[in-house]
Amino acid sequence: MKLAPGEIALQEASRAFSVRADRGRTLKGLLLGRGGSAADGPAPVQALRNVTLRVSPGETVGIVGRNGAGKSSTLRVLAGIIPLNSGFAGCGGQVVSLLELGAGFGRDFTGRENILLNGALHGLDKPAIEARMDAILEFSELGRFIDVPVRTYSSGMFVRLGFAIAAHLEADVLLIDEVLAVGDEAFQRKCEAQIARQIDGGATLVLVSHDAALIERTCARVVVLDDGRVACDAPAAEALGFYHRLMGTPEGVSA
Amino acid sequence: MAHRFLFEQLVRRELRQKYQGSVLGLAYYIVNPLVLMGAYYLMFGVVFKVAPQEDFPLFLMVGLVVWIFFSQSLLGAASSLLDQGGLIRKARFPRWTIPASVVCVHAVTFAVLLTLTAAVTIAVRGTLDPALLLLPLVLAALFAFALGLALVVAVLHAYFRDVAPILSAALLPWFFLSPIFFTPRSITDQAAARFALEWLNPVAPFIEGVRSIVYSGAAPSPAVLAYVIAAGVLALVLGRFVFERMQGELAVVV
Repeated sequence: MKLAPGEIALQEASRAFSVRADRGRTLKGLLLGRGGSAADGPAPVQALRNVTLRVSPGETVGIVGRNGAGKSSTLRVLAGIIPLNSGFAGCGGQVVSLLELGAGFGRDFTGRENILLNGALHGLDKPAIEARMDAILEFSELGRFIDVPVRTYSSGMFVRLGFAIAAHLEADVLLIDEVLAVGDEAFQRKCEAQIARQIDGGATLVLVSHDAALIERTCARVVVLDDGRVACDAPAAEALGFYHRLMGTPEGVSA
Repeated sequence: MAHRFLFEQLVRRELRQKYQGSVLGLAYYIVNPLVLMGAYYLMFGVVFKVAPQEDFPLFLMVGLVVWIFFSQSLLGAASSLLDQGGLIRKARFPRWTIPASVVCVHAVTFAVLLTLTAAVTIAVRGTLDPALLLLPLVLAALFAFALGLALVVAVLHAYFRDVAPILSAALLPWFFLSPIFFTPRSITDQAAARFALEWLNPVAPFIEGVRSIVYSGAAPSPAVLAYVIAAGVLALVLGRFVFERMQGELAVVV
């Protein structure tokens, strides 16, 4: 399927996960002919069931749902980290996924070195990262700590650096999983402003969060997932109303 | 190479993480093999004199550095994908760069050790010969061979956690069957046994090739050269094939 930059498509996407206690299949299991078949233990969890979703370039979509509804799986499928069992998933253009801030930081690397490593993981080369270095340093507000190994950072500093890097990548599609709830309020506002700038620049946003207020501020369209299915796909206010009824929380109160 | 910079960063990270915080730091990459060599020399050069080779320590060292590179690369690669599980679960990037960066780190150590060993061997034995020009070819084949097998064990171990323990158990007898402290000719007269020791163990021709150039100052036989090139290419093709077929579920299984 050919997708325009910023376009997102999920076509009858299904994905199940085996939930056996020992996640690594052993050779013994393989030799006995039950490698990975999950014959023992609970049945596989169906994380996505025939999910079909089209997002046009520049749309802002929030995904809400209870724990285990398939929100993170949707993002990881869209990011290309896990494959589907059946169906199609794809994003057009440059995809930047923020599933965990600071994933892949080398703890013994300084902040500056981690910027290089992280940029490389996002597919940038050295000149491209160095061109952004000053902006990233300024955004992270780390000051002189930028040349100190990140193992000495507080968790707030850690995520500030992680977000600062991601915020300065050019994205057609931004996939963000519940990472903004960290950092102090001022920094959260700054992150939101940065995301808003990228959206103004034409980027498509898919945001997973339990913070209904954040979703309402950021997203025009909201998808409610329930048990791996799309339970509601509507403008934010309407879909959040549905979500609150689903969760049994009074409307207007952020869950 | 499209991912050169990422690769460079991963190699740096691998180098930095392993011995971070220890006094000698990076020197352990050199110190460990040297200690191993000392121990094996004591064992096979002094205690049991197994082989009537001239300059036995040099004979042993040249074979040992090849073996150490090969075995350490496979062992390091086997657990590498699990070690970097956090990264694999949360970020999208070419997965092969992880085991390949491990092999590269060992290749750097190997280059340092081999340079030292070869310089001493050639100086002591006077084996400087135009055959030395063939060494890069043999080493490139060895690198391809180790990298190909490293890709296989890395991805297999991510799915089947028995692979690394089986590998580390197999490496010990494999070591003793490799012509590191003997030559097949010097320990058996039986043609079949000699053939098996020389050709059925895929590491043997690599050791023979490097040793022929550095220790004997002679070009390896055409059969050895053809064997190492074929083994290198085959291993790399196999490694790529298996890795690409199996890497899809890595974010789920690690």
